[in-house]
Amino acid sequence: MRHRAVLSHSALTPIHVVLHKVQKRISILLALLGDWSAFIGVVLILGLGTSWYMIDVGTPLTTERQGPWTGWTSAGRADADPYTRAHFARLGTLQLSAEMTLTFVAFTDNEGRRLHSSCDYNVEGREPGASWWSLTVFDDRGELIANPAQRYAFTSQSIAMRPDGTFLVALARDARPGNWLPTGGAGRLALVFTTLDPTTPLLANPDDDQKPLPAIHRVQCR
Amino acid sequence: MNIRDKLKHANWQLIVAAPIAAGILHICATLAAPYLTAASAYSRLAPALPLNKIQVLHPITPGAEPLPFLSPHARYAMCRFDTANGPVSVTATLPPDPGWMLAVISPQGDNVYAAASTPGRSTPIALVLVPSEDHFLGVTPEARGIARDVQPPVPIAATRGIVVVRGPDKGLAYKKEVEANLGKARCSGRSF
Repeated sequence: MRHRAVLSHSALTPIHVVLHKVQKRISILLALLGDWSAFIGVVLILGLGTSWYMIDVGTPLTTERQGPWTGWTSAGRADADPYTRAHFARLGTLQLSAEMTLTFVAFTDNEGRRLHSSCDYNVEGREPGASWWSLTVFDDRGELIANPAQRYAFTSQSIAMRPDGTFLVALARDARPGNWLPTGGAGRLALVFTTLDPTTPLLANPDDDQKPLPAIHRVQCR
Repeated sequence: MNIRDKLKHANWQLIVAAPIAAGILHICATLAAPYLTAASAYSRLAPALPLNKIQVLHPITPGAEPLPFLSPHARYAMCRFDTANGPVSVTATLPPDPGWMLAVISPQGDNVYAAASTPGRSTPIALVLVPSEDHFLGVTPEARGIARDVQPPVPIAATRGIVVVRGPDKGLAYKKEVEANLGKARCSGRSF
Protein backbone atom coordinates (compact mmCIF):
# COMPACT_ATOMS: atom_id res chain seq x y z
CA MET A 1 0.00 0.00 0.00
CA ARG A 2 2.76 2.35 1.00
CA HIS A 3 4.64 1.53 -2.19
CA ARG A 4 1.61 2.35 -4.30
CA ALA A 5 1.14 5.63 -2.46
CA VAL A 6 4.72 6.55 -3.15
CA LEU A 7 4.28 5.73 -6.83
CA SER A 8 1.17 7.76 -7.11
CA HIS A 9 2.87 10.56 -5.20
CA SER A 10 5.94 10.33 -7.39
CA ALA A 11 3.85 10.69 -10.48
CA LEU A 12 2.89 14.08 -9.22
CA THR A 13 6.25 15.32 -7.89
CA PRO A 14 9.37 13.57 -9.28
CA ILE A 15 11.66 15.42 -6.89
CA HIS A 16 9.98 13.62 -3.99
CA VAL A 17 10.64 10.26 -5.60
CA VAL A 18 14.32 11.02 -5.78
CA LEU A 19 14.33 12.25 -2.20
CA HIS A 20 12.43 9.20 -1.09
CA LYS A 21 14.87 6.88 -2.86
CA VAL A 22 17.82 8.64 -1.27
CA GLN A 23 16.15 8.49 2.15
CA LYS A 24 15.43 4.80 1.66
CA ARG A 25 18.98 4.01 0.62
CA ILE A 26 20.38 5.96 3.57
CA SER A 27 18.12 4.06 5.96
CA ILE A 28 19.21 0.74 4.43
CA LEU A 29 22.84 1.81 4.73
CA LEU A 30 22.32 2.88 8.32
CA ALA A 31 20.61 -0.40 9.13
CA LEU A 32 23.50 -2.26 7.52
CA LEU A 33 26.07 -0.10 9.32
CA GLY A 34 24.16 -0.61 12.56
CA ASP A 35 24.37 -4.36 12.07
CA TRP A 36 28.08 -4.17 11.29
CA SER A 37 28.89 -1.85 14.19
CA ALA A 38 26.97 -4.14 16.52
CA PHE A 39 28.86 -7.08 15.03
CA ILE A 40 32.24 -5.39 15.50
CA GLY A 41 31.32 -4.33 19.03
CA VAL A 42 30.25 -7.84 20.02
CA VAL A 43 33.37 -9.38 18.45
CA LEU A 44 35.69 -6.93 20.21
CA ILE A 45 34.01 -7.25 23.60
CA LEU A 46 33.72 -11.05 23.44
CA GLY A 47 37.10 -11.71 21.83
CA LEU A 48 39.30 -9.26 23.70
CA GLY A 49 37.28 -9.35 26.94
CA THR A 50 37.45 -13.12 27.35
CA SER A 51 41.13 -13.11 26.37
CA TRP A 52 41.92 -10.39 28.95
CA TYR A 53 39.95 -12.24 31.65
CA MET A 54 41.66 -15.57 31.04
CA ILE A 55 45.11 -13.95 30.92
CA ASP A 56 44.71 -11.57 33.84
CA VAL A 57 42.42 -13.43 36.24
CA GLY A 58 42.67 -17.02 35.09
CA THR A 59 40.18 -19.86 35.29
CA PRO A 60 40.14 -23.26 37.02
CA LEU A 61 41.75 -24.61 33.84
CA THR A 62 44.91 -22.59 34.44
CA THR A 63 44.94 -21.67 38.13
CA GLU A 64 44.58 -23.23 41.56
CA ARG A 65 42.72 -21.10 44.07
CA GLN A 66 42.48 -21.41 47.79
CA GLY A 67 40.86 -18.55 49.65
CA PRO A 68 42.58 -15.36 48.50
CA TRP A 69 45.54 -17.26 47.03
CA THR A 70 45.93 -17.87 43.30
CA GLY A 71 48.63 -20.03 41.74
CA TRP A 72 49.20 -20.62 38.03
CA THR A 73 49.69 -24.36 37.75
CA SER A 74 51.85 -24.48 34.63
CA ALA A 75 53.90 -21.33 35.25
CA GLY A 76 57.29 -21.38 33.55
CA ARG A 77 56.80 -24.83 32.07
CA ALA A 78 57.80 -25.50 28.49
CA ASP A 79 54.34 -26.99 27.89
CA ALA A 80 52.51 -24.08 29.54
CA ASP A 81 49.18 -23.05 28.06
CA PRO A 82 49.02 -19.75 26.11
CA TYR A 83 47.08 -17.99 28.90
CA THR A 84 49.79 -18.74 31.48
CA ARG A 85 52.52 -17.61 29.09
CA ALA A 86 50.69 -14.38 28.31
CA HIS A 87 49.97 -13.79 32.01
CA PHE A 88 53.60 -13.92 33.07
CA ALA A 89 54.84 -12.09 29.96
CA ARG A 90 52.51 -9.20 30.82
CA LEU A 91 53.46 -9.36 34.49
CA GLY A 92 57.15 -9.29 33.54
CA THR A 93 58.19 -11.75 36.22
CA LEU A 94 60.91 -14.34 36.12
CA GLN A 95 58.94 -17.52 36.56
CA LEU A 96 60.74 -20.63 37.66
CA SER A 97 59.10 -23.84 36.52
CA ALA A 98 56.01 -24.96 38.41
CA GLU A 99 57.68 -28.38 38.49
CA MET A 100 60.24 -26.87 40.89
CA THR A 101 58.37 -24.14 42.72
CA LEU A 102 54.81 -23.28 43.57
CA THR A 103 53.97 -19.61 43.84
CA PHE A 104 50.69 -18.24 45.15
CA VAL A 105 49.75 -14.57 45.09
CA ALA A 106 47.07 -12.86 47.20
CA PHE A 107 45.76 -9.36 46.57
CA THR A 108 42.85 -9.65 49.04
CA ASP A 109 42.28 -10.93 52.55
CA ASN A 110 40.16 -13.99 53.33
CA GLU A 111 37.04 -11.80 53.34
CA GLY A 112 37.79 -10.62 49.79
CA ARG A 113 38.81 -7.06 50.74
CA ARG A 114 41.79 -5.53 48.92
CA LEU A 115 45.02 -5.68 50.95
CA HIS A 116 46.08 -2.14 51.83
CA SER A 117 48.88 -0.65 53.90
CA SER A 118 46.41 1.46 55.86
CA CYS A 119 45.19 -1.76 57.51
CA ASP A 120 46.91 -4.31 59.75
CA TYR A 121 46.63 -8.01 58.97
CA ASN A 122 47.39 -11.30 60.64
CA VAL A 123 48.71 -13.97 58.29
CA GLU A 124 48.34 -17.31 60.02
CA GLY A 125 49.19 -20.75 58.79
CA ARG A 126 51.09 -23.94 59.34
CA GLU A 127 54.32 -25.15 57.85
CA PRO A 128 53.62 -26.83 54.49
CA GLY A 129 55.66 -29.98 54.99
CA ALA A 130 59.42 -30.05 55.28
CA SER A 131 60.12 -28.01 52.16
CA TRP A 132 61.60 -24.53 52.05
CA TRP A 133 59.01 -21.77 51.76
CA SER A 134 58.76 -17.99 51.91
CA LEU A 135 56.16 -15.30 52.49
CA THR A 136 56.94 -11.91 50.90
CA VAL A 137 55.05 -8.64 50.87
CA PHE A 138 55.17 -6.34 47.82
CA ASP A 139 53.20 -3.33 46.71
CA ASP A 140 50.72 -4.08 43.94
CA ARG A 141 53.32 -3.25 41.26
CA GLY A 142 55.55 -6.02 42.58
CA GLU A 143 58.11 -3.73 44.20
CA LEU A 144 59.55 -4.25 47.65
CA ILE A 145 58.43 -1.88 50.39
CA ALA A 146 61.34 0.11 51.81
CA ASN A 147 61.54 0.03 55.60
CA PRO A 148 64.22 0.76 58.23
CA ALA A 149 64.19 -2.86 59.41
CA GLN A 150 65.06 -3.99 55.85
CA ARG A 151 62.56 -6.77 56.25
CA TYR A 152 60.59 -7.84 53.21
CA ALA A 153 59.96 -11.55 53.70
CA PHE A 154 59.94 -14.48 56.09
CA THR A 155 61.19 -17.88 55.07
CA SER A 156 60.96 -21.28 56.69
CA GLN A 157 64.50 -20.57 57.96
CA SER A 158 63.87 -17.09 59.38
CA ILE A 159 60.36 -17.27 60.81
CA ALA A 160 59.63 -17.85 64.51
CA MET A 161 57.31 -20.84 64.65
CA ARG A 162 54.89 -21.68 67.44
CA PRO A 163 55.44 -24.98 69.29
CA ASP A 164 52.45 -26.52 67.51
CA GLY A 165 53.99 -25.98 64.07
CA THR A 166 51.91 -22.93 63.17
CA PHE A 167 53.06 -19.37 62.55
CA LEU A 168 51.66 -15.87 62.72
CA VAL A 169 52.98 -12.98 60.65
CA ALA A 170 51.77 -9.47 61.45
CA LEU A 171 51.45 -7.26 58.40
CA ALA A 172 51.43 -3.70 59.69
CA ARG A 173 52.79 -0.22 59.19
CA ASP A 174 54.15 0.03 62.75
CA ALA A 175 56.37 -2.45 64.56
CA ARG A 176 54.72 -5.51 66.10
CA PRO A 177 56.17 -8.16 68.39
CA GLY A 178 57.01 -11.49 66.76
CA ASN A 179 57.05 -11.96 63.00
CA TRP A 180 56.40 -8.45 61.69
CA LEU A 181 56.39 -7.51 58.00
CA PRO A 182 56.39 -3.72 57.56
CA THR A 183 54.00 -2.33 54.94
CA GLY A 184 54.92 1.38 55.24
CA GLY A 185 52.74 3.61 53.13
CA ALA A 186 52.82 1.36 50.10
CA GLY A 187 49.10 1.54 49.36
CA ARG A 188 47.73 -1.63 47.80
CA LEU A 189 49.65 -4.75 48.77
CA ALA A 190 50.38 -8.19 47.33
CA LEU A 191 51.45 -11.22 49.32
CA VAL A 192 53.46 -13.94 47.65
CA PHE A 193 53.80 -17.42 49.14
CA THR A 194 56.42 -19.64 47.50
CA THR A 195 57.42 -23.20 48.24
CA LEU A 196 60.25 -24.96 46.48
CA ASP A 197 58.67 -28.38 46.64
CA PRO A 198 55.63 -28.69 44.39
CA THR A 199 54.90 -32.12 45.82
CA THR A 200 53.91 -30.42 49.06
CA PRO A 201 50.22 -31.20 49.55
CA LEU A 202 49.30 -27.50 49.61
CA LEU A 203 45.95 -28.07 48.05
CA ALA A 204 45.36 -31.65 49.09
CA ASN A 205 42.47 -30.94 51.46
CA PRO A 206 40.84 -27.68 50.47
CA ASP A 207 37.88 -28.37 52.79
CA ASP A 208 40.08 -29.21 55.73
CA ASP A 209 39.89 -26.82 58.67
CA GLN A 210 43.67 -26.71 58.85
CA LYS A 211 44.32 -25.31 55.39
CA PRO A 212 48.02 -25.38 54.51
CA LEU A 213 48.05 -21.98 52.78
CA PRO A 214 48.02 -19.15 55.32
CA ALA A 215 44.81 -17.31 56.12
CA ILE A 216 44.87 -13.51 55.87
CA HIS A 217 42.63 -11.65 58.32
CA ARG A 218 42.22 -7.92 58.70
CA VAL A 219 42.83 -6.74 62.26
CA GLN A 220 42.12 -3.02 61.98
CA CYS A 221 42.26 -0.08 59.61
CA ARG A 222 43.22 3.51 60.24
CA MET B 1 7.79 -4.35 15.92
CA ASN B 2 7.36 -7.38 18.14
CA ILE B 3 10.02 -9.91 18.97
CA ARG B 4 8.94 -12.29 16.23
CA ASP B 5 9.33 -9.57 13.60
CA LYS B 6 12.68 -8.56 15.04
CA LEU B 7 13.89 -12.14 14.86
CA LYS B 8 12.54 -12.42 11.33
CA HIS B 9 14.43 -9.34 10.21
CA ALA B 10 17.60 -10.10 12.18
CA ASN B 11 20.80 -10.57 10.22
CA TRP B 12 21.44 -14.19 11.07
CA GLN B 13 24.61 -14.37 9.08
CA LEU B 14 26.19 -11.72 11.31
CA ILE B 15 24.74 -13.25 14.48
CA VAL B 16 26.29 -16.63 13.66
CA ALA B 17 29.55 -15.04 12.50
CA ALA B 18 29.98 -12.92 15.66
CA PRO B 19 30.98 -15.70 18.10
CA ILE B 20 33.19 -17.33 15.46
CA ALA B 21 34.97 -14.03 14.79
CA ALA B 22 35.19 -13.39 18.54
CA GLY B 23 36.78 -16.83 19.00
CA ILE B 24 39.34 -16.11 16.30
CA LEU B 25 40.12 -12.72 17.86
CA HIS B 26 40.39 -14.36 21.31
CA ILE B 27 42.94 -16.90 20.03
CA CYS B 28 44.94 -14.27 18.11
CA ALA B 29 44.99 -11.84 21.06
CA THR B 30 46.04 -14.57 23.51
CA LEU B 31 48.81 -15.93 21.30
CA ALA B 32 50.06 -12.45 20.41
CA ALA B 33 50.05 -11.12 23.99
CA PRO B 34 53.52 -12.42 25.01
CA TYR B 35 55.05 -10.85 21.89
CA LEU B 36 53.25 -7.52 22.18
CA THR B 37 54.31 -6.74 25.74
CA ALA B 38 57.40 -4.55 26.05
CA ALA B 39 57.90 -5.45 29.68
CA SER B 40 58.59 -9.17 29.63
CA ALA B 41 61.26 -10.46 32.01
CA TYR B 42 63.67 -11.09 29.12
CA SER B 43 63.26 -7.62 27.59
CA ARG B 44 63.84 -6.04 31.02
CA LEU B 45 66.89 -8.12 31.88
CA ALA B 46 68.62 -8.50 28.52
CA PRO B 47 69.99 -4.93 28.15
CA ALA B 48 71.76 -5.15 31.52
CA LEU B 49 73.34 -8.57 31.02
CA PRO B 50 76.54 -9.24 29.04
CA LEU B 51 76.32 -11.84 26.28
CA ASN B 52 77.41 -15.39 27.11
CA LYS B 53 78.86 -14.39 30.46
CA ILE B 54 77.58 -15.06 33.94
CA GLN B 55 76.90 -12.06 36.15
CA VAL B 56 76.12 -12.18 39.87
CA LEU B 57 73.31 -9.73 40.57
CA HIS B 58 73.29 -7.42 43.58
CA PRO B 59 70.96 -8.32 46.45
CA ILE B 60 67.33 -7.51 45.71
CA THR B 61 66.51 -4.33 47.63
CA PRO B 62 63.75 -1.72 47.32
CA GLY B 63 64.33 0.50 44.31
CA ALA B 64 66.90 -1.94 42.86
CA GLU B 65 64.64 -4.77 41.76
CA PRO B 66 65.45 -5.84 38.21
CA LEU B 67 61.99 -7.43 37.90
CA PRO B 68 58.65 -7.20 39.69
CA PHE B 69 57.82 -9.81 42.35
CA LEU B 70 61.44 -11.01 42.47
CA SER B 71 62.21 -12.82 45.72
CA PRO B 72 64.38 -10.74 48.08
CA HIS B 73 65.31 -13.93 49.94
CA ALA B 74 67.34 -15.25 47.03
CA ARG B 75 70.52 -14.22 45.22
CA TYR B 76 70.78 -14.58 41.49
CA ALA B 77 73.46 -15.06 38.86
CA MET B 78 72.35 -14.67 35.26
CA CYS B 79 73.76 -15.15 31.80
CA ARG B 80 72.13 -13.86 28.63
CA PHE B 81 72.98 -16.35 25.92
CA ASP B 82 72.70 -16.37 22.16
CA THR B 83 73.62 -19.49 20.24
CA ALA B 84 73.51 -17.81 16.81
CA ASN B 85 77.33 -17.92 16.58
CA GLY B 86 77.74 -21.39 18.07
CA PRO B 87 76.88 -23.48 21.12
CA VAL B 88 77.10 -22.04 24.61
CA SER B 89 78.49 -24.08 27.48
CA VAL B 90 76.93 -23.76 30.94
CA THR B 91 78.38 -25.33 34.06
CA ALA B 92 77.42 -24.91 37.70
CA THR B 93 77.48 -26.88 40.90
CA LEU B 94 74.47 -26.53 43.13
CA PRO B 95 75.39 -26.86 46.83
CA PRO B 96 73.51 -29.44 48.91
CA ASP B 97 71.36 -26.76 50.61
CA PRO B 98 67.66 -26.36 49.80
CA GLY B 99 66.76 -23.41 47.60
CA TRP B 100 69.47 -23.67 44.93
CA MET B 101 68.25 -23.90 41.36
CA LEU B 102 69.45 -23.52 37.81
CA ALA B 103 67.05 -22.73 34.99
CA VAL B 104 67.42 -21.99 31.30
CA ILE B 105 64.62 -19.59 30.43
CA SER B 106 63.53 -18.67 26.90
CA PRO B 107 62.58 -15.08 25.96
CA GLN B 108 58.93 -16.19 26.18
CA GLY B 109 59.43 -17.26 29.82
CA ASP B 110 59.50 -21.03 29.31
CA ASN B 111 61.87 -23.03 31.49
CA VAL B 112 63.65 -24.98 28.78
CA TYR B 113 65.70 -26.71 31.47
CA ALA B 114 65.47 -26.57 35.26
CA ALA B 115 67.31 -28.37 38.04
CA ALA B 116 67.19 -28.03 41.81
CA SER B 117 69.72 -28.86 44.52
CA THR B 118 69.59 -32.22 46.24
CA PRO B 119 69.89 -32.42 50.04
CA GLY B 120 73.05 -34.19 51.18
CA ARG B 121 75.14 -33.90 48.02
CA SER B 122 76.25 -31.31 45.50
CA THR B 123 74.61 -31.30 42.08
CA PRO B 124 77.03 -30.70 39.20
CA ILE B 125 75.35 -29.44 36.05
CA ALA B 126 76.93 -29.32 32.59
CA LEU B 127 74.82 -28.16 29.67
CA VAL B 128 75.54 -27.19 26.12
CA LEU B 129 72.99 -24.83 24.62
CA VAL B 130 72.62 -25.40 20.89
CA PRO B 131 70.56 -23.46 18.34
CA SER B 132 67.06 -24.80 17.89
CA GLU B 133 67.33 -24.42 14.11
CA ASP B 134 68.89 -27.29 12.23
CA HIS B 135 72.35 -26.45 11.02
CA PHE B 136 75.73 -28.13 11.11
CA LEU B 137 77.68 -27.35 14.27
CA GLY B 138 80.79 -29.39 13.68
CA VAL B 139 81.99 -32.91 14.30
CA THR B 140 81.70 -34.30 17.80
CA PRO B 141 84.92 -35.42 19.58
CA GLU B 142 83.64 -39.00 19.44
CA ALA B 143 83.21 -38.77 15.66
CA ARG B 144 86.81 -37.55 15.43
CA GLY B 145 87.97 -40.55 17.46
CA ILE B 146 88.66 -38.53 20.59
CA ALA B 147 87.27 -40.02 23.77
CA ARG B 148 85.85 -37.58 26.30
CA ASP B 149 87.36 -37.73 29.75
CA VAL B 150 84.24 -36.31 31.34
CA GLN B 151 80.56 -37.04 31.04
CA PRO B 152 79.21 -35.27 27.93
CA PRO B 153 77.09 -32.21 28.69
CA VAL B 154 73.35 -32.31 28.24
CA PRO B 155 72.40 -30.64 24.93
CA ILE B 156 69.53 -28.15 25.21
CA ALA B 157 67.95 -26.59 22.11
CA ALA B 158 67.59 -22.87 22.74
CA THR B 159 68.49 -19.98 20.46
CA ARG B 160 68.26 -17.11 22.94
CA GLY B 161 67.40 -16.75 26.57
CA ILE B 162 68.74 -16.37 30.07
CA VAL B 163 70.44 -18.87 32.35
CA VAL B 164 69.43 -18.23 35.95
CA VAL B 165 71.27 -19.64 38.95
CA ARG B 166 69.37 -19.00 42.15
CA GLY B 167 70.69 -19.39 45.68
CA PRO B 168 69.00 -18.73 49.01
CA ASP B 169 69.95 -15.46 50.72
CA LYS B 170 70.44 -16.68 54.28
CA GLY B 171 71.81 -13.40 55.64
CA LEU B 172 75.13 -11.62 56.07
CA ALA B 173 76.90 -14.62 57.59
CA TYR B 174 76.38 -16.66 54.42
CA LYS B 175 76.71 -13.79 51.90
CA LYS B 176 80.28 -14.55 50.77
CA GLU B 177 79.64 -18.28 50.53
CA VAL B 178 76.49 -17.79 48.45
CA GLU B 179 78.18 -15.24 46.17
CA ALA B 180 81.18 -17.55 45.73
CA ASN B 181 78.93 -20.43 44.73
CA LEU B 182 77.04 -18.21 42.29
CA GLY B 183 80.32 -16.89 40.88
CA LYS B 184 81.53 -20.43 40.18
CA ALA B 185 78.84 -20.86 37.55
CA ARG B 186 80.17 -20.54 34.01
CA CYS B 187 78.54 -19.57 30.74
CA SER B 188 80.63 -19.19 27.59
CA GLY B 189 80.62 -19.76 23.85
CA ARG B 190 82.35 -22.94 22.72
CA SER B 191 83.01 -25.16 19.75
CA PHE B 192 81.17 -28.45 19.48
